[in-house]
Amino acid sequence: MTLEELNVFVTTQANVGMEAYYWWCTGLMIIIHVGFLMYEVGATRMQNAVSSGVKNLLAFAFMIPTFWLFGWWIYLAFPGGFVPIDLEGYGVPWNVSMGPMLSDQATGVFWAAFTLFACTTASIFSGAVIERIRISAFVFLAVVLGSVVWILAASWGWHPDGWLVTSWGFHDVAAAGCVHTVAGLFAFGVLLNLGPRIGKYNDDGSANELVGHSLVLSFVGLLTLIVGFFGFLGACLIWAGSDFGGWVNIYGAPATLSSFAFNTLMGLAGGMIGAFWWSKGNPFWMMSGGLAGIFICAGGLDIWYPGFAFILGVIAGCVIIPANNWLHNTFKIDDCVGAVSIHGVCGILGMLAVGLFASGFPAAGDIPPSNFMGQIVGIITMALTGFIPGYVISLVMKMAGWLRVPDHVQKAGIDKAELGLQAYNQ
Amino acid sequence: MNTFPGPENSWEGVDAYFTWANSSGMLVLFTLVTAAICLGVIIAAARHESETADNSK
Repeated sequence: MTLEELNVFVTTQANVGMEAYYWWCTGLMIIIHVGFLMYEVGATRMQNAVSSGVKNLLAFAFMIPTFWLFGWWIYLAFPGGFVPIDLEGYGVPWNVSMGPMLSDQATGVFWAAFTLFACTTASIFSGAVIERIRISAFVFLAVVLGSVVWILAASWGWHPDGWLVTSWGFHDVAAAGCVHTVAGLFAFGVLLNLGPRIGKYNDDGSANELVGHSLVLSFVGLLTLIVGFFGFLGACLIWAGSDFGGWVNIYGAPATLSSFAFNTLMGLAGGMIGAFWWSKGNPFWMMSGGLAGIFICAGGLDIWYPGFAFILGVIAGCVIIPANNWLHNTFKIDDCVGAVSIHGVCGILGMLAVGLFASGFPAAGDIPPSNFMGQIVGIITMALTGFIPGYVISLVMKMAGWLRVPDHVQKAGIDKAELGLQAYNQ
Repeated sequence: MNTFPGPENSWEGVDAYFTWANSSGMLVLFTLVTAAICLGVIIAAARHESETADNSK
């Protein structure tokens, strides 16, 4: 074998390996949706169990074509802000790059991975609004969040040329900001307009517990969801093929899957233990704490010391319950699964943790090192990018009468009234 | 680049090889149809919800 033949062989194997890696990460991410489905259906009362599941599945189905239509282009075109850069046609659905090409082994699998990131972001919002949002309204809002809002935030802060990265040194390798904070705050904005389920609050302002029909389904779903997140987090690293000699983070700096393995597992365990202690053994909160433990570590998943990731996880596990109670008592929202607290609050804490404890880490090329001010600017940007569209668009929909299921349908049960089905034979 | 009905007799020189790859008008048409289906189904679902809500009063 000549040196040239050897070079072709190595490059080919690296490209095929890269394709296969993201293919399987994408497949693993679909398990996130199995988990979300079980989690949300279990948290729903029996009369609305089918419609909750249908809503969840539709978010997945609609995200795929809409992310192909405009989501991928938004990510590539808007790293500078609100004005698109000239991509010479790349990324739009009628460009040949958005279809099978023998010279391009990357676009399809990266688009697929980002599409599943989008599905995940929309599903985070899904659980918060169960049992009283119109399915069509939810699908529309999910498309806005999954194929426009979060990916715009990703273009700014989760892209090597994003303005938050190049100007401020923003560091958030596993999307604590653009996925979790944006989705959590988008859900918060919608919840303010959507209102609570009938019977959630009494006239004196006190709250009632509307218990889901299967706690077991919910917490098994949460553990399933965590399995899927290994695909999500794995796809947050860039397999640079033979070009750079190994893994880099999404900003182009050297990184390893080992660092992700250490800190994902330690954050998960810390979150479960913290929430178990704080909730005095509630399995729903214990598993939610595990997720929150991963999300609070996500910003610096490539650089934390595992013992510190564990402590961050414990903090997340202890924070989510009081944060959820505070949000409910203060704003009278009805966040059925604690999404604002688990994703929104812990996403913000994850970005803040990088600023407080990981300032000064070098980045690739001309990107400034991670720093406290950069993280603060990132937190404000991500929070507003999630909240403002969620609040404004849902307010318009509310005024148009296209947001909330009418009270008499809620009382009758959405499954029976709209779908003519019931989840179980009684 | 190749076109419908696919590689004519060889993969030689082929890069983009999906149907209508060299016909930008067809690609735009399929894009518009895809968008219209997504939007149309959301509108149809909203109408169904309104009708069932009225019927169940």
